[in-house]
Amino acid sequence: MTGKQFRLIAIVAISVLFLAAWIFPIVWSVLNSLKTDGDVLAYPPKLIFAPTLDAYRDVLFGSASILPNLVSSFIISIGTTVITMLMAVPAAYALARLRFRGKAFAGFYVLATQMLPPVGIIIPYFLILRNIGWIDTYQGIILIYLSFSLPFAIWLLVSYFEDIPFEMEEAAYLDGASRLRTLWRIIIPQVRGGIAVTIVFVFLNAWNEFLFAVVLSGNTVRPVTVAMFNFVSVEQTLWAKLAAVSVLAMLPVVILGIVAQKHIVKGLTVGAVKGGGRR
Amino acid sequence: MSTRGKVRFDGIVKMHGSFAALKGVDFEIEPGEFFALLGPSGSGKSTTLRILAGLDMPTSGRVFVDGQDVTAMDAQDRDIAMVFQSYALYPHMTVFENIAFPLEMAKLSKAEIAPSVTDAARKVKIDHLLDRKPGQLSGGQQQRCALARAIVRKARLFLLDEPLSNLDAKLRLETRAELKKLQRSLGVTAVYVTHDQEEAMTLADRMAVFMAGEIQQIGRPAEVFAKPNSIDVAAFIGSPPMNLIPARYAEGDVIVSGQRLKTTLQVGGERDLVVGIRPGAVRMVPDGIPATVELIEDLGDSVILDLDCGGTPIRARVSDGDIPREGQTITVTARPQDIHLFDATTRKRL
Repeated sequence: MTGKQFRLIAIVAISVLFLAAWIFPIVWSVLNSLKTDGDVLAYPPKLIFAPTLDAYRDVLFGSASILPNLVSSFIISIGTTVITMLMAVPAAYALARLRFRGKAFAGFYVLATQMLPPVGIIIPYFLILRNIGWIDTYQGIILIYLSFSLPFAIWLLVSYFEDIPFEMEEAAYLDGASRLRTLWRIIIPQVRGGIAVTIVFVFLNAWNEFLFAVVLSGNTVRPVTVAMFNFVSVEQTLWAKLAAVSVLAMLPVVILGIVAQKHIVKGLTVGAVKGGGRR
Repeated sequence: MSTRGKVRFDGIVKMHGSFAALKGVDFEIEPGEFFALLGPSGSGKSTTLRILAGLDMPTSGRVFVDGQDVTAMDAQDRDIAMVFQSYALYPHMTVFENIAFPLEMAKLSKAEIAPSVTDAARKVKIDHLLDRKPGQLSGGQQQRCALARAIVRKARLFLLDEPLSNLDAKLRLETRAELKKLQRSLGVTAVYVTHDQEEAMTLADRMAVFMAGEIQQIGRPAEVFAKPNSIDVAAFIGSPPMNLIPARYAEGDVIVSGQRLKTTLQVGGERDLVVGIRPGAVRMVPDGIPATVELIEDLGDSVILDLDCGGTPIRARVSDGDIPREGQTITVTARPQDIHLFDATTRKRL
């Protein structure tokens, strides 16, 4: 066996190991979601069983339907993503391009907010929202999510904007375009990939968020991550239904991941090479 | 010839912090003229062009185009087209869309835009590439696309920032000639930045030689070549550059390495100065200043001799007659009318 072959086999073996560790919980969830509660708890675990969609029917159309929660999750995630992007794109462009007093500090501040441990600010956030009466409201949760997603999105987008040479903009000005028109016609089309990556990340972060949602939501606005806990109680855990909700909650994430795969990989490499690229 | 595109720079100063990129620049460009801004990198020629384009603001001084003060005017309102060194093509648009962009910004209708774009593309011979994206073009084609985008709008001024520097040597020569023809046929005023004196010499009707943020000399290329007004200009213009030799002036003669050279110039008295002789003006004669041939560079139609003239290095260009061998000692001189004299301290022409 040559060294090259050995290396290849080693790489494949290690990859398979990591992949197995990553995929096992997902496969297990999917399998459990198709079992009856009895089959879930069977020991030794049943690999061959009669699959049933009962769990899905119950969680979607039963008395404890999670459909309203999925709708809540979508409203929160889409709301957060849209508002974040509307604000982050011009902000990132400004940070990448314009010279203004305090620019270095602004860049640092944006990054620093990412370093705060979420648990440390959850109580202040709760108190603030309660004082303005926004606990258990969409605007309340979206506002709190914005405080995380906005700095993150700006930080991610800046490096894409910085990749575009100044001359490109100057050419557009000389061609008679205003600054806004240049941004819209010349700059944004060139950072489409970066915008796609940012949308995916912001959406996923909002969709998957649990900690803040569990504290700041209530009975009116209850995203699916929180609603899953309905199936865990003191007396029992409804494993099959819990697994079915998990799979349903994962679906948008997986679909989005597949659709945006090309952009995400490219986006991650840009970040890696440029190290954030902040000037 | 165009009557548009008259430019006047009036006392332009540009500071970057405490560094003066331009230390008071004045010049005028006539309509229809091909005007070159020539100088080494960092001499202020690109800054001058950017101020004219409206991409940089001068610290003080005024810029006039066609008699109008445009100093504070935004770039997009100046009606000036520019070709960038990097071409700055819009990578997400096709060649057609790139060329159409300035017309679109001028709010022309689609029916007006299409023929203009095709016409401009035909002038630079890329009308068969209109559907491509810039990334699918060769360097030369990209350059032409940038040219087409600049000429399509018929702006009153046509600025070019080292447009040929990214092309290979052969293409550069071809494009240089085409550029000159294009400018003549359009009759547009062109301002051309380059560090390549040969480009400036061949293209320009007049040129301004920049050194360290100041204009050293303005004139027709032949004038500047024949009468450089300072040591720096003399050393910059011509390839290989002028020989500049410390010498002594006495009684109408110049004394170089103990040998007397006749000159037609009368500067009076006895003084130290710098004598300038173009390599092409160095002549081999039976009776002259002795020099050892150190190196021969054969250019095909002529040879460059690197000579050691009593410790002073001199270069000579010889195109006919007997070519000496390396190591041989020859005797050289120059005709009195080919001798330039410069003040050693002020570095100005005498």
